[in-house]
Amino acid sequence: MASSKFPLAPPEHSRPHAPMGEGCFLGETERQQPLALKEALAKIKNWFRANSLWVMAYGTGCGSIELRPLTTARFDMERFGMAMRPTPRQSNVLIISGYLSVKSLKRVIRAYEQMPSPKWVVGLGSCTINGGMYWDSYNTINRLDLYVPVDLYIAGCMPRPEALLEGFGVLMEKIKAGEANGWNHYLEQMDWYKENQKKLITDWDLPDYNW
Amino acid sequence: MSFPLKLMWSVIGILVAIAYGLLISGIIRKVMARIQGRIGPPVYQGFIDLGKLLVLRTATHHGVMFYLAPIFRAAGGIGLYLLIPVVVGVPALENFSFTGDLLLVMYFMFFGSLGMALGAAESGHPHSSIGISRGLSQMTAFELPFALAVVALAASAGSFSISDIVMAQQGGILHWNLFTHPLAAIAAFLAFLGMNMYAPFNIVGAPQEIPAGPPTEFNSSFLSLMMAGRSIFAVAKMVLFMDLFLGGATNLLEVLVKTFLIYFWSVFVGAVFPRFRTEQSIRFFLGWPTVAGVAAVLLVMLNR
Amino acid sequence: MDEIIQRIRDNFGVLREHRQRDDLAEVWIEPRHVLPLLTWLKEHTPFVQLTHLSAVDWLEDGEFQLTYLLTDPVGRRSLMVAVRISREEATAESVHTLWAHAVTYEQEINEMFGIHFPGSPRQGVPFILEGWDDIPPMRRDFDTVEYMNRHHPSRPGREHTDPRRYIGQVVGEKGYLHD
Repeated sequence: MASSKFPLAPPEHSRPHAPMGEGCFLGETERQQPLALKEALAKIKNWFRANSLWVMAYGTGCGSIELRPLTTARFDMERFGMAMRPTPRQSNVLIISGYLSVKSLKRVIRAYEQMPSPKWVVGLGSCTINGGMYWDSYNTINRLDLYVPVDLYIAGCMPRPEALLEGFGVLMEKIKAGEANGWNHYLEQMDWYKENQKKLITDWDLPDYNW
Repeated sequence: MSFPLKLMWSVIGILVAIAYGLLISGIIRKVMARIQGRIGPPVYQGFIDLGKLLVLRTATHHGVMFYLAPIFRAAGGIGLYLLIPVVVGVPALENFSFTGDLLLVMYFMFFGSLGMALGAAESGHPHSSIGISRGLSQMTAFELPFALAVVALAASAGSFSISDIVMAQQGGILHWNLFTHPLAAIAAFLAFLGMNMYAPFNIVGAPQEIPAGPPTEFNSSFLSLMMAGRSIFAVAKMVLFMDLFLGGATNLLEVLVKTFLIYFWSVFVGAVFPRFRTEQSIRFFLGWPTVAGVAAVLLVMLNR
Repeated sequence: MDEIIQRIRDNFGVLREHRQRDDLAEVWIEPRHVLPLLTWLKEHTPFVQLTHLSAVDWLEDGEFQLTYLLTDPVGRRSLMVAVRISREEATAESVHTLWAHAVTYEQEINEMFGIHFPGSPRQGVPFILEGWDDIPPMRRDFDTVEYMNRHHPSRPGREHTDPRRYIGQVVGEKGYLHD
């Protein structure tokens, strides 16, 4: 069921010279530093970022019921330095936990753009990957990565908390290796993402970018 | 001691205080986790959080006061710390204490929160405004028993200098103000619960109600500055209470033990109590703590 | 319960009725009797609470059914008052003057089924579907698959399985349904 409305493959990521996921954006000039120093600095920064992931406490669907046990005694994600933050300004990871309707997509875009970079998106459950079992409902997003850049998918319906912890471990490894670059991709391919978002949200009343 | 040397020692003292505050916040999280049956984060988690916040990008603009608020907060903490002698008799650790510093200390405790209130109000988030109104009203309430306790101690020692109050308590544990002025100690230590804003008095940042509270809009480096300010503020408060009630200290090890005990008084209370509502909290502080404070002042007056 | 249903029969006329349990009955009435009957039930009987207001699309009959679920909180009984309205007109009387919270139900039914409740506030205000530009999605002539293919493309390579085929196979082999 290919559709002519969307280009189905997102454009290629194109910044080979950015070391370890350290991108620049929106006119910020790169500091003139030797590449080795840059990479060493990036490694330290990424270690800090990976070991203190603050998760935005926002549940979009049924999957968020699997997020709650992570904060309690049995699974305890705080031992990895992860904590729930109630505001996008202070969080680094946005978890799309399950089905996303068009109405909540608007709020997700707003929250995502308000988070300070570097920021990561985790798609939770089959429904964010491909629509899941209610793919033919009238109001659910079938492919999340058309609208926000997803760094990591955790498949399952629903994934158990163990799977979530495993997924966060993978995300930490990716961040340390400088491979979790979705936020750079979003800024570089802003036009493509905005075009997709505006195709879906017909009553577009958001600003061009939510600072 | 010459002024530049003193300045150097003070800067070192501030850095150590920030590190100690962050370490204590890590220990608190660990203790809370153990109480709840979890493993909890490593004790150095506060340093990682601070480092992470420093390497995040910042892209918000809400106005000048928004930028100044974390600076005010940190300045309030640093100013408070610089006025309090950590170890009386050791010039390097006496900071800039002087005769009558207790009055200025009382003022500086308000300073950071007032700056924070102005900045957070400018961010425009409703949770910020609610948090500020709650925080300022609670602060006005717990300031009363604390001020009464301080007045009682100052009247008893006959001086508004923290060093003099410390010197008046020398000569054994039973000379501490904690035991010679028990009513003042009760008033002040109950007010201390409110100052630290752990449960049951965590109505400012109340999770599940107005999550995050005043710093809702503050991100990355703003938040890191506020974290540093908060930790030094906590250390300064602990040292102040140690000087006022636990007879000061003669060496740094004593400082560590005593401040740890003082701080964990509020942590252990916080671990087992649910949260008050705003008006309950204010009524609490204006009730028995204030009565104890008034009684402490009266006792001192009668004993003169 | 019996007495109340008898009085509804006498005063308003009942098209059809159904006793599910001792404490749950359903009556079908004519559209013009909805407001008088509900007013009478609320004012003069223990059925004072509107628990639910829902709609069903009977496409083949060309009708919508509106179901008002009334509850007697003291006696713990429920009475369902159902009414069939024409699918073309799709207009029903609003009961928000009796129960203020009916506004939300009517707003949602208006959005999901396109049934209009004249006089009810917030008619036409988006409830869930912001910026909806198709026929109301809960009408049965709305083709969700076609809509999803148009608006929410699937990832290439997705395989579909029609559940009906598999259910028939499994059930047929085991012989549970047709023995």
